[in-house]
Amino acid sequence: MSEATVVKPDLDFVKEVIAAGGESLKKCYQCATCSVVCNVTPDENPFPRKEMVWAQWGLKEKFQGNPDVWLCHQCNDCTAYCPRGAKPGEVLGAIRKQAIKQYSAPAALVDIVNNKKLLPLIFIVPAVLLALLLSVAGTFGIHEGEVVYSKFASILFLQVVFTPALIFGLAVGVLGVKKFWDDMKKANNVQSGDLKASIIATAKDIAGHQKFKTCDVSGDRYTSHLLVFYSFVALGIATALGVLYIDILGLESPFGFGYGTPVKLFGLIGAVAILAGTILMMSSRFKNEEKLGAGSYYDWLLIGIVGTVGLSGALSWLLRLGGAASVAYPVYFIHLVAVFSLFIYLPYSKLAHLFYRSAAMCFNKYSGREAQSQGAGQS
Amino acid sequence: MSEHESNIVVIGGGISGLTTATEAAEAGYTVTVLEKDPFLGGRVGRMNKYFPKLCPPVCGLEINYRRVKFNPRISYYTMADVEKISGNAGNYEVSVKLRPRHVNDKCTGCNACTEACPVEVPNEYNAGLNKRKAAYITTEQAFPFQYVIDKAACTGDCGTKCREACKYDAVDMEMQPQSLKIKAGSIVLATGWKPYDAKKIDNLGFGRYRNVITNVMMERLASKNGPTGGQITRPSDGKEAKRVAFVQCAGSRDENHLAFCSAVCCLASLKQATYVREQYPDSEAYFFYIDIRTPGTSYERFLNKIKEDDKVRMIKGKVAKVSEDPATGDVIVEVEDIFAGGKSRVAVDLCVLATGMEPTISELRLPSDIKINENGFAVIGKDQKGIYAVGCVKDPVDVAKSVQGATGAALKAIQTVGRLA
Repeated sequence: MSEATVVKPDLDFVKEVIAAGGESLKKCYQCATCSVVCNVTPDENPFPRKEMVWAQWGLKEKFQGNPDVWLCHQCNDCTAYCPRGAKPGEVLGAIRKQAIKQYSAPAALVDIVNNKKLLPLIFIVPAVLLALLLSVAGTFGIHEGEVVYSKFASILFLQVVFTPALIFGLAVGVLGVKKFWDDMKKANNVQSGDLKASIIATAKDIAGHQKFKTCDVSGDRYTSHLLVFYSFVALGIATALGVLYIDILGLESPFGFGYGTPVKLFGLIGAVAILAGTILMMSSRFKNEEKLGAGSYYDWLLIGIVGTVGLSGALSWLLRLGGAASVAYPVYFIHLVAVFSLFIYLPYSKLAHLFYRSAAMCFNKYSGREAQSQGAGQS
Repeated sequence: MSEHESNIVVIGGGISGLTTATEAAEAGYTVTVLEKDPFLGGRVGRMNKYFPKLCPPVCGLEINYRRVKFNPRISYYTMADVEKISGNAGNYEVSVKLRPRHVNDKCTGCNACTEACPVEVPNEYNAGLNKRKAAYITTEQAFPFQYVIDKAACTGDCGTKCREACKYDAVDMEMQPQSLKIKAGSIVLATGWKPYDAKKIDNLGFGRYRNVITNVMMERLASKNGPTGGQITRPSDGKEAKRVAFVQCAGSRDENHLAFCSAVCCLASLKQATYVREQYPDSEAYFFYIDIRTPGTSYERFLNKIKEDDKVRMIKGKVAKVSEDPATGDVIVEVEDIFAGGKSRVAVDLCVLATGMEPTISELRLPSDIKINENGFAVIGKDQKGIYAVGCVKDPVDVAKSVQGATGAALKAIQTVGRLA
């Protein structure tokens, strides 16, 4: 006789998933269309069908160290073909939000950052903080004459305030990944693997957006995500070059080469890519709204922050050229607030996917599951 | 314009309509049956066998033809399009347009016109699996047994060859459409269903891969009077179909297609699995399902009997991707086998999509007191007077329930007529 299994549903977990954008969760009737139409899921124990039933039943512990919710790229092919409108793509997004809460400490910050009602607060706090710090530095305000942003926020100020903010965001994310990785090893009973090769292979996948390419219904997400991803790379390089010029080579802005200088070039490329990418992301969501849903607050918050960074950055540049000091400095302040928010909310907003999805993709290679599933299953 | 009067008008000459008509007529009321096709019998006439007893449809249908033929209270019109229904309970007027058959009742069914006809068009009766002539009859069991000429398919010297071939002067290419007005006390809607267009289910490959067919096509393939004489072979190369996949809920229980359960497809596919297993002892049938819906004792027993055959493999999981091996013409169905816990791809000779029943009632211009629900079925309330519905007009139902419903519909129609007479 088989042992009886007692299922202990965690009803709060179900409610949280529903509140986080998975309101269609309970419509699922387990037909498994989603797992079959998904082009990124492995053959063995594919997602998202099993995640749907776990979430419906409130089996929170099943998500402990589950790489699959992160292997999902939210192409929404599953949602497009779902016969019940259960939107597995959106539900997995909501489950990922719960996973972020589990791994990015403190969990309360994930709730605060992603709470629609606290939207003004999460920008007012960094704005007030930056305004105070700039006032202490004595540079807060509109400066007459040629628009030079270092009059408003000196290079030293940026280094003292923004570098720790970024390090904070990265550190919380890395600690989260460490916890997540250990959980994945435990949950999937994986002892060892080739970590270095897995990391290299994952980096290649990410660089080429190989998984995104396989999306059918929302194929334009490949382009939009690629644009935003590489805009961050370009802007990162521009910033690194800035550090190199100023701190290491001791040069002073504008480094004497005009727009031909690499730092400017990368900055411009980044600005164009970030704006084009966010606009494409937004239009794609509206275009597919009827069938796929326009996404949850959690999605839009990130699009909003990234879009604000791009737009305020580009406007700051144009206004500086135009010499409109009275508008330029406030816009630049908005830009600083947006970038600061991006950094400190890095592990709490949807942007945390850069840690956890990368880790899950890497784990899938590390555990050998990805290799195993290719070409299997023919009978 | 001719006028005609009867107690009851039945719209639709399938199993539901014919049963309603014969029941009411045998109770003493006059009935007119209007059928849009050139022959009576509807969907049931196209089937190979009924579930669960696996007897051929002649069982129920042929006796109904006989009851229709010899009952003076029943008149029927084929190729009849209902144009308008007006009036109210006890006093309806149905306007009908009769399309010309181009063959009059001198026809003896000798087949000379078909032999002489030079034109071939896809045979819709066999779901396009073969071709027919422009002058044709569907099967040897067709009722009325009177040929028809599809004038739209005629080209060139249309009508010349068949007219010359007919020894009985039965071909009349000058036949004109006729208008008909029927006064009736009550109306029974029995327009039935049509198979859901499988091409709309773009992930299942119908229309792209020739060896992906529908359940309706499978009935014709297995029928003795079908395109292959009952041999279950695949359309691409005529190879014996020994590995057959049945894909359940193909477009049913799916809000992108038909949101409702079509109620008969599970039983129909299980039945069709027996066709394959009986024809080829070394065959295998795969039955891919979300849930198996066989309600009631006799249907449950039918399911259990089929489950005893270990060559009928039941796999829980909906097929959501279909591809083709171009070298062999085999169809590869992809599914998550939920109980086994992984995706599998099964290569088969033939893939049968269990497409659902799409209601047809919305194609009829109905009086405003008949409401259509969100799934396209007629809503006939308890207090509905004068107009009733039977069979797949109201719900997706099987033959047994259609026939039961027909007796009820006949009774209601009789009550309307009797009360107001």
